[in-house]
Amino acid sequence: MRLLKKYSALYVMMVPVIAYFLVFAYYPLVKGLQTSFQDYKLMGDRPYVGFANYSAVLHDSLFWEAVINTLVIGGGILCFSFVAPLVIALSLNEVLRTWFKKAAQMILYVPHLLSWVVVGGIWIFMLSPDSGIINMILVHVFHMKPINFMADSGWARWILILLATWKEMGYTCILFLAGIVSINPSLYEAARMDGATRWKQLIYVTIPQLSNTMKVVFLLNTLGILRIFDEVFILRNPTIAAKVDVLMMYTFQKGILEIQLGPAAAASFFVLLLTLAMTLVVRRITRFDEV
Amino acid sequence: MSDRFERLGWKNKAFDMLNVLFLFGLMLTMIIPFINVLALSFSSGIASMRPEIVLWPKQFSAEGYSIVWKSLDIWRPLMNSVIVTVAGTVLHVLLSSLAGYVFIYPRLPGRKVMLTFILITMMLPQEAIMIPLYVVNKDLHLINTLSSLVLSGLVSGFSILLMRSFFLNVPYEMSESAKIDGAGEFRIFLTMYMRLAAAGLATVILFEFVGRWNMFTAPVMFINDSMKYTLQVALKAMIIDTSSNSGTYMVTTNVRMAGIVISILPLLAIYPFVQKYFMKGILLGASKE
Repeated sequence: MRLLKKYSALYVMMVPVIAYFLVFAYYPLVKGLQTSFQDYKLMGDRPYVGFANYSAVLHDSLFWEAVINTLVIGGGILCFSFVAPLVIALSLNEVLRTWFKKAAQMILYVPHLLSWVVVGGIWIFMLSPDSGIINMILVHVFHMKPINFMADSGWARWILILLATWKEMGYTCILFLAGIVSINPSLYEAARMDGATRWKQLIYVTIPQLSNTMKVVFLLNTLGILRIFDEVFILRNPTIAAKVDVLMMYTFQKGILEIQLGPAAAASFFVLLLTLAMTLVVRRITRFDEV
Repeated sequence: MSDRFERLGWKNKAFDMLNVLFLFGLMLTMIIPFINVLALSFSSGIASMRPEIVLWPKQFSAEGYSIVWKSLDIWRPLMNSVIVTVAGTVLHVLLSSLAGYVFIYPRLPGRKVMLTFILITMMLPQEAIMIPLYVVNKDLHLINTLSSLVLSGLVSGFSILLMRSFFLNVPYEMSESAKIDGAGEFRIFLTMYMRLAAAGLATVILFEFVGRWNMFTAPVMFINDSMKYTLQVALKAMIIDTSSNSGTYMVTTNVRMAGIVISILPLLAIYPFVQKYFMKGILLGASKE
């Protein structure tokens, strides 16, 4: 009791935070679970309907479309935004001139600071068929026909994957660079004594030593896959919707636009379960806990 | 990493050249769009609509900016964004620091329970509770208010842990001696820890500022009233939903680009500080996960 009194001020300091999380995290979680079993209307009765919402979602072909889109686009982003920053970090590490290294790092990081609205706005314009730079180059330099990237369902997923990679690579690159900097220099010395070339030092020292950083980045990226929303919301249009609408978009449409809160809550719980499952699988595969 | 003298061979030199070219090419994919946007925003309306690559203003004019400001009233969403960003950031930093401070006491009874309570919220993706969160906001009559946006993400486990790790660097003896002098917890927190962990505060402030300025999901969900739109939502309506026209008013390319430039100015203004503090924060944050 004496202890509790001694620390009472500290508990008071925690009150707002705990209250906030109760109202805006735990309560919605419970409420969401409840809603997913209800025929939820904004007014009036909300009878319990068992698993009806879940089965409605599972029988909705749009839901399965969204699952496939999420896996394809999310998987693509997972690969590309893992490999691209890694390559860039390794490449930056080989640069001798410090000023160039700093400048490159600084510029590559900028897109991470911009919102998806800005990034989307810029690239929709850059990719537009009549006045975008990309198509101008295709037409005038390579004498090709202009491609309407944003209205071509064949390109849609690629655009989403590549733009997400472009936006985040500078950020992830910093994580890899930090990993590279913390590699013990004596490993390189030993390798050089044995006559290892730069290439061999890269393959036999840098990359193996980076494995822990790689695991962290991979885990962080995995958690992000199911959350893709802003990007799709901004870049989608009716022509490509079927190829790019991900799970979060499905939930948003069901819940906020069609006001079918029951099925939307059920779909959210699939997202939650998938996130947990993927986290566990990735942790198992990368043996993250052994780091 | 390796010494300069072993890089004399032509193979090494060729590799260095290609390497720099590769990075330079990547940098161009960031620089060219940016110059393009800037140049178009300062071009006249007609010139900005011509199908050509513009890297320098054609028929220099600030007409885009005056239209976006006066006719499209972008100042209103801009003000909304400023209010939401500033209020949200200040409250977020204050509340997260308070909780972060509590966790530096290793022998506090109930510490583990509270820490688990917070760690669970970090595992829970915000997006998975998007729908019930909407209902909660509706029940609290927060839909269509700026308060809903300030409240969205008001506290985060990430910031709490980040602040805690900065507070841990403050020497423990200092607070001990202050306590002997009769200072209360809250005073120690405000006068010593908040001051000494200024670098940490700067990091969290920057993270939050950028996050809130760019916030998109919450305003899309909670705000329908166009008078309450934030800059990002207004910008989306202006530059993406209207590829060429918005009802009665034609939005020319220079106007759209001016909107983009206005929205990224605050971010560019804080970029030097980002350079200084962000990197540290990112690394601390990543090691926490």
